[in-house]
Amino acid sequence: MSIRFPSLEFFRALQQRAKDDADVFEKLGVCDTTFGIRVGDDLYRIAFEVYECTEVDETNDPASLDFVLTAPVQLWKEMFASVLANGGADAAHTINTLTHVGDVMKVEYEDPEGHDRLYRFMATIQEFLDEAQHLDVELG
Amino acid sequence: MSYIGPKDFSEDTNLIAEVMRVMSGDLNLEWMKDCPHAMTARPSQARRGLTLDDINDDPYYGPSAIPEIIRRHFSMTPRGGVLPEGLPSLGYRLNRKSDVWADSATVLFEESKSRRWAPARSVPWDALDEASLSSEEDVAIRQLCTGLTSIGLVSTDVPSRWVWLMNQDFHEIKYWMCAQMFDATRLAEAFRKRALYGQGALGCDSRELGELLKIIMESDTYPLASAALNLTLFSFVQSLGRRFEFSSTNAADTYLGTRLVQDASRFIAYGVDHIRQLVGTRPSQVEIVNDHLDLVENGLVGYLGSRELIEPLIVLSGGVESVAAFYRRAAEQYFERCIAAGLGERQDRSPLPAFLKLLDS
Repeated sequence: MSIRFPSLEFFRALQQRAKDDADVFEKLGVCDTTFGIRVGDDLYRIAFEVYECTEVDETNDPASLDFVLTAPVQLWKEMFASVLANGGADAAHTINTLTHVGDVMKVEYEDPEGHDRLYRFMATIQEFLDEAQHLDVELG
Repeated sequence: MSYIGPKDFSEDTNLIAEVMRVMSGDLNLEWMKDCPHAMTARPSQARRGLTLDDINDDPYYGPSAIPEIIRRHFSMTPRGGVLPEGLPSLGYRLNRKSDVWADSATVLFEESKSRRWAPARSVPWDALDEASLSSEEDVAIRQLCTGLTSIGLVSTDVPSRWVWLMNQDFHEIKYWMCAQMFDATRLAEAFRKRALYGQGALGCDSRELGELLKIIMESDTYPLASAALNLTLFSFVQSLGRRFEFSSTNAADTYLGTRLVQDASRFIAYGVDHIRQLVGTRPSQVEIVNDHLDLVENGLVGYLGSRELIEPLIVLSGGVESVAAFYRRAAEQYFERCIAAGLGERQDRSPLPAFLKLLDS
């Protein structure tokens, strides 16, 4: 059965995929950050500790997050379409590329050190999002 | 000149007599009785393993007991070990905690090892064989890699100039600096390999980059060197990594850019934490560090404006405006980090805003 994007169910499915691919995440190294993904008006809280995605939930408290990746629903759909089509985001749709100048996907943060966790752990975060390639996703 | 010990041990009759007694079975085992403090050290999280923070979770062995100024010893004794009489001084000159310390160094050290990668096999080099780069883009990437190789090598030199002067009680910082040297070496290795891969060649060195790196390397004190290297230089190295990934059209360059970003970000994290703890302990250092960063940023303007950097960036992005926007964003994030480090607003004194305005015009 396909999973609708955006939804909490979708991000929990990514969490499960990350657990199933534990060896991949362990190879990338420790990742300690709690960040947000804002899809339109919905904010999802994603927590990583050591090698695991330990928590996925919805939240109304961006201040508790190291950083928030913010984009309209359509951009996220475009990014995940690239993940699904290419077995992972292509060069034009990586998180780094989309956030690079700040005019496509925005990174919101209050603390620059929290913001830098995006860059310290970017490979893990990208891999987490790339796990969508293994899901049956309904992008709408 | 080599150090000559205070006695000829091979002619020391007392030592020889002691050895003969021990060999005949007369062990006094005094060292066994001298254990001053036992602690329980276990991994707090099994998956993370036994970390430095786990073995520091006791005031006797942990860093909380380190005084601001160490006068107790200058020997090789590991922190918490027994100090017998007559230990030689190893001549350490960095004996002030706030000159070196950052609480995050333990985590960054563990993270550095955990997030390791090996350029020889981790980078999907064969993706470059299929990369659709014009000859101009190909040469531009190799030119950027030449500069990054220089930066990587000098970034091994900077910590190496200070680590051996640092008291053993700051071993976490020494470990971290050794990890930095390895991380920087890997960056030099990876980008040299990228420059030379296939029908490759190194590009042209930059006088302005050389001046910037010399300003950083010849910083008068370790805190100034740390601010210059970790906070200023690596803020822009991180941004260059982001730009490298942004400009990439293939999996190899995406991988290289992402890893440059992640490794550079650890330097920044230490730099912000170190300078914040320095100026928190000794507020008079704010102006001293800011004065030095005035000089470093002047060198940075030279590098950012050098043809050897800005022209390949323009070739790869297809225009001046995109590069100006990239520089502006890199500077904004750098200034945010300076505030987080306790240095206050630097825009009014820094030469960077005027340079960026020039690009906009």
